[in-house]
Amino acid sequence: MATSIITKTVFFNATRETVWSFLTEREKIGLWFHPPKEDLAEGKDYELILTRDNGEKAKVCWGRVLEMHRPEKMIWTFTVNPLNGSLTTVTWVLEEVLCGTRLTLKHEGVEAAAGEAAMDLILSFDAGWDEHFAAMRKALSKGN
Amino acid sequence: MRIQETFRALADPTRREILMHLSRREMTIGEVTDKFEITRAAVKKHLNILEEGQLISVHVQGRERINRLEAQGLSAVSDWIGYFDQFWDQRLDALKNAVEDAENAKRKSIKGKV
Repeated sequence: MATSIITKTVFFNATRETVWSFLTEREKIGLWFHPPKEDLAEGKDYELILTRDNGEKAKVCWGRVLEMHRPEKMIWTFTVNPLNGSLTTVTWVLEEVLCGTRLTLKHEGVEAAAGEAAMDLILSFDAGWDEHFAAMRKALSKGN
Repeated sequence: MRIQETFRALADPTRREILMHLSRREMTIGEVTDKFEITRAAVKKHLNILEEGQLISVHVQGRERINRLEAQGLSAVSDWIGYFDQFWDQRLDALKNAVEDAENAKRKSIKGKV
């Protein structure tokens, strides 16, 4: 299985402490993502909650903060609804540069989680799955 | 965004089961309804969502509307790397804007005091 890693780098004209606060504090996370119920803390689970126009709340991303090394590095497990709870890993690294902060995001384990999610999909069917799956595979191969 | 509609369509077990049935053969709404203990209206709603997700297509044959699996629609789901790549681009753009707005406000406030 391929093991792609998504890496993103962003430069900020701000201190590491400022950027860190936007990654860990409830209200500030809400300014660029969906807000969690409370500030993020090492070893604690987090949930990022979307509030719809009608006031209904929905958990869209969640996981656990595995490591926090303020203001340098943080590691989360991370998943989204379509992955059915299969976890990936997100690492945030903050480095001081001349005029501010370089933030690097590394997202790993996407394929493995997608595979697990597919397995969940398979298991979500009752008896007769093998027959269904064979038919689906056949249909897919025709479609490709 | 199309991929989100595809995910939405696949998120429901009844809709996934409808896809399984359609992978065997094309079906009318009535034939799909016969496979489930839910109303025809509920089945129609599920079929609409599957169509929005581009996982099925609907073809009119005489007085019937025939539902057909569009297997290539599922290929969007396999592009998880592309999905997250775009997802993080959007989130990090928003983060950059949020941090810079805060920094600008801070600078203005310091300038005002001087």
